Amino acid sequence: MEYVSPEGLRLDGRRPMEMRQIRAEIGAVSKADGSAIFEMGNTKVIAAVYGPREVQNRNQQISSHALVRCEYSMANFSTGDRMRKPKGDRRSTEISLVIRQTMEACILTHLLPRSQIDIYVQVLQADGGTRSACINAATLALADAGIPMRDLVTSCSAGYLNSTPLLDLNYVEDSAGGPDVTLGILPKLDKVTLLQMDSKLPIDILENVMQLAIEGCKAIANYIREVLLENTKQLEYRRGV
Amino acid sequence: MEEEKEAVMVTPGEVLGRTSDVKAGRGAYAALHNNTVYASLTGFRHTVPPAPDSSDLRPTVEVTGHKAHGPVPQPGSVVIARVTKVMARSASADIMCVGPKSVREKFTGIIRQQDVRATEIDKVDMHLSFHPGDIVRALVLSLGDARAYFLSTAKNELGVVSAESIAGATMVPVSWTEMQCPLTGQIEQRKVAKAAS
Repeated sequence: MEYVSPEGLRLDGRRPMEMRQIRAEIGAVSKADGSAIFEMGNTKVIAAVYGPREVQNRNQQISSHALVRCEYSMANFSTGDRMRKPKGDRRSTEISLVIRQTMEACILTHLLPRSQIDIYVQVLQADGGTRSACINAATLALADAGIPMRDLVTSCSAGYLNSTPLLDLNYVEDSAGGPDVTLGILPKLDKVTLLQMDSKLPIDILENVMQLAIEGCKAIANYIREVLLENTKQLEYRRGV
Repeated sequence: MEEEKEAVMVTPGEVLGRTSDVKAGRGAYAALHNNTVYASLTGFRHTVPPAPDSSDLRPTVEVTGHKAHGPVPQPGSVVIARVTKVMARSASADIMCVGPKSVREKFTGIIRQQDVRATEIDKVDMHLSFHPGDIVRALVLSLGDARAYFLSTAKNELGVVSAESIAGATMVPVSWTEMQCPLTGQIEQRKVAKAAS
């Protein structure tokens, strides 16, 4: 099967370095302290943040830092085949841990001792790149909740098919069996907080693919900043400052 | 020099200055590895000039206008709590407000016998100081032990601010140790907070 045509177009008409359309919305869940909806193409994710609040399991409490907990789940209707996976399957546990570690690296936990921050992420529609969308949604929700962060963590995936690095894989490209790199960075601090890869890739091509993913992450960061600043302007307008 | 208000908006991670030029205030943090001050919240960047008598001549940069997260009790903050359990040597309380802000979900605090009042510490009777259901104003002493924050009411302004009598009416403070029911006239013992006049 051919994923990049000789004219340099992908199956959905994008060029290799193009991202899918991004859309974000803040404040989707009114009962949560912070919430956000994030869309990357046909992938749609909703995130809600509760906290800082009292730690529920006392044995997990840390006296000098906030405890960050994350729960990832996919809705039964989010894929083509309706699935009925029990809660806590291997993939959900792994992605929950990945999101938790990524967020722990960017939240200033020492400012909120003996408290707990809960992040709930749910995939409403899956079309590849779900964990990247989850991390972006969680970042937006944390910023909406007013939790102090070192930087906005953004995430993007990249792959390598038909001898071409591709940015922001969709489901068909993801299922092609080629290498798939998921990257999470702090764009302003220029640090990597997450790096995952499937399949094999030569080391020199890996650097090219990573560079492409970094560009994608920075583009997402710029968009997220615009959304946050627009939301702050709205807030300021309503306060009448 | 005209002191104009900068309307620059920042998001987390943006550079606000160098640590040699500015100090990190609220909503900002200093990264020591590269001597840079970054924003940690979304909002407007403000520069506060240094105090005239301060030896540090650097201004403080802050980020304001953001949506604040729920408050977390800190040592030294004044909280409003509801007493949930009174024991022989301590009283448990649920923290409901930290300063002027209400807590979305409760934090547990404890008032120990030695922290009820500053005088006659040995003669404190917990059951004559608090009752379950009382609303108290207290000071957070420390983060406490593994279970609860340590609270103190050992100042004149701290103590019970609202209590219900057996008849169900809100009692009126008549002295710093007594409250009276307006319906039945019965006097009950409490560690009463001095009203802000």
